[in-house]
Amino acid sequence: MGLAKLVVRILSIIGKEIVEVFRRPGAVLSLILGPFLILAVFGLGYQGIKKDLNTIVVVDPSSQLPKDVASYQNLAIRGLRVIDVVPDRAPAEARLRAGEADIVIIPPADALAAIQSGQQADLTVVTDVTDPVAANYAGFLAETLASAVNREIYKAGAEEGQDYAITIGGKDLSNVPPEVIASPTKPVLENLAAVEPTIIGFYGPAALALVLQHMAVTLIALSIVRERSSGAIDRFRASPMRATELVAGKVLAFGILGSGIAALSIWLLVSFLGVPMLGSPAMVALVVGLLLIASLGLGLLISVVSDSERQAVQLSLLALLAAMFFSGFVLRIEEFQPAVQVAAYGLPVTHGISLLQDLMLTGSIVQPWQLGALAGISAVLLILSWGLLTRELRPE
Amino acid sequence: MAGVTKRFNGTEAVSSIDLEIPTGSVVGVIGPSGSGKTTTIRMITGSLGATAGKIEVLGDDPSHFRRSTRERMGYMPQLFSLYPDLTVGENVDFAGSLYGMILFRRWRRKKAVLQLVDLWSVRNRRAGQLSGGMKRRLELAAALIHEPQLLILDEPTAGIDPLLRRTVWDEIHRLRESGVTSIVTTQYVTEAEECNLVALISSGRLIAYGSPDELRRNALGGEVVEVTMEGLYDAAAIARPEGVHAIRQTGPRTFELIVEDAGAAIADSVPQAFAAGGTVASVREIRPTFEAVFADLVNRDQEAREAEAAAEAEAGSKGKATSGDQSKAAA
Repeated sequence: MGLAKLVVRILSIIGKEIVEVFRRPGAVLSLILGPFLILAVFGLGYQGIKKDLNTIVVVDPSSQLPKDVASYQNLAIRGLRVIDVVPDRAPAEARLRAGEADIVIIPPADALAAIQSGQQADLTVVTDVTDPVAANYAGFLAETLASAVNREIYKAGAEEGQDYAITIGGKDLSNVPPEVIASPTKPVLENLAAVEPTIIGFYGPAALALVLQHMAVTLIALSIVRERSSGAIDRFRASPMRATELVAGKVLAFGILGSGIAALSIWLLVSFLGVPMLGSPAMVALVVGLLLIASLGLGLLISVVSDSERQAVQLSLLALLAAMFFSGFVLRIEEFQPAVQVAAYGLPVTHGISLLQDLMLTGSIVQPWQLGALAGISAVLLILSWGLLTRELRPE
Repeated sequence: MAGVTKRFNGTEAVSSIDLEIPTGSVVGVIGPSGSGKTTTIRMITGSLGATAGKIEVLGDDPSHFRRSTRERMGYMPQLFSLYPDLTVGENVDFAGSLYGMILFRRWRRKKAVLQLVDLWSVRNRRAGQLSGGMKRRLELAAALIHEPQLLILDEPTAGIDPLLRRTVWDEIHRLRESGVTSIVTTQYVTEAEECNLVALISSGRLIAYGSPDELRRNALGGEVVEVTMEGLYDAAAIARPEGVHAIRQTGPRTFELIVEDAGAAIADSVPQAFAAGGTVASVREIRPTFEAVFADLVNRDQEAREAEAAAEAEAGSKGKATSGDQSKAAA
């Protein structure tokens, strides 16, 4: 009899939560179609190509270097578009600050003289950016440019040297083309991955994990905070309902809802956006289930520590922001300090992203311990929030 | 409840309340807004723990209610705490399932309670679309669905029209006949007449507890008889007859008598006693309104507290003076 009543109480919470969500068609639509539409727009809109940087080359009038735009364009440096060659640095930098150019390159006035005197010649690259990613990119282009210029110098030297006997290891290389001498190796990239996904293919599983965590956290946190502010918690206190039944009912309700949304989203991603699905559906379901339970635990914890709906929304957004930065969605976790990496692995979505990407894009889980970590996070968060909720349901 | 006190951050919301509620009675907890009614009610439901004192409800300590005890209690909170996106029927159904009621019993009871509060016709309407009065009735239905033995209603008649208020009280009386004990808070002093027992609470203190008639007697010192003479009459000029506790002139020809038993006074002693000074035109018992009774009891309590505070202050100043004299003497 007691068991039957327990089941009735848990089912009542499940039914109530699901009916409440479906009574708001807009919310349902945004829950199901939202993630899919965001990914679709992202996939269709993202080109994955950086715009060529408008470049001004400053060439000293006394230099032997070419002073026409075409000569520099012929160097064919990817990512750079030479728009002008000017004799003075100051006006070039003024145009850089005005946004007319993205980069100013100042090659050495007399590179040959510097080399002949046994010194490296400076090839200065000037930018005016605050974005660290853009600054890194400019640095990368500067390196590429320096390599290209070096290659040209080698090539010129090799052309000149062909009249003489050039030997390496006792072999005469006078018949070897100068560009081979200047650039003896060329990269050939081979990828062992089962599929080479598109941008959307790669980010699809990650975005799904992120959306599922945020949805689960927000739904359960707001549900409990609303019940507290409306006085429903007082009704629960006066009824035979216990925290265990409340937590079980909420987790099951939003778990069922989240699983349905995840299943529909995965079908849409695979069928319409071409996201690969190489792993077993059962394993994907297991990962989604664990991710949802852990995220619901996080949401429960947020609901217990929040004293208003506004605070719950703020904390949910903070969780989303943390997920964006530290989960590996944008930046690789390995790029962070070890202490931050530990914190990052405390987020359910970090494991969710990694596991879903592994399963969907490679067909297997590379780091199986992450399944255990996700289960551990779920257990810790649920036990903690259950304990706090039990305390809340006791007499004040 | 014995010596029950509740403090919030050092502030006393309820002070040393003693209350014994007989089974099968309707007890009205009456007092102005902020007087401590809801705090008292929430301590009875187990939502709030008492800072001091002892509470026993249906044989259990509310801070450790057993599930079976909770299942015997129904609670209607002061504010609407049901779900606006669920329909009227779904809300009542949900309330029933909180008490572990199985589906068939819920269906049967849902219809009965919704018909009782006149919401059966709107059972498919969302609760968020109901008027304030309908929401109160829905809350009442949710509190009644599991057929509780003890019903705790926090302002069930607030914000509903007089006709429905009547219906609510009729239902409470009907429940009493079937053995249900009801504890009802209300700000409407006149509703005290609906209760078997009334607990008057003011500033967190229980200032009176008894049947409505007992409270009247306590407030006025007895029952009230109004005497009207045919000509001008000065009641103060004549000696107070036996059995009359007090005489109060209320008009040139009328005065009120506070007597032990109004029936007996009207029957014989009063007309005879006053006939000597003039002709008695009429004698009748007056039942003062409960507003007047309540105001009288509150004022009397206020005066008693002020007198107590003054006495304490005086005792304190005397004590200081004495200790000052002793200090001087010692020096």
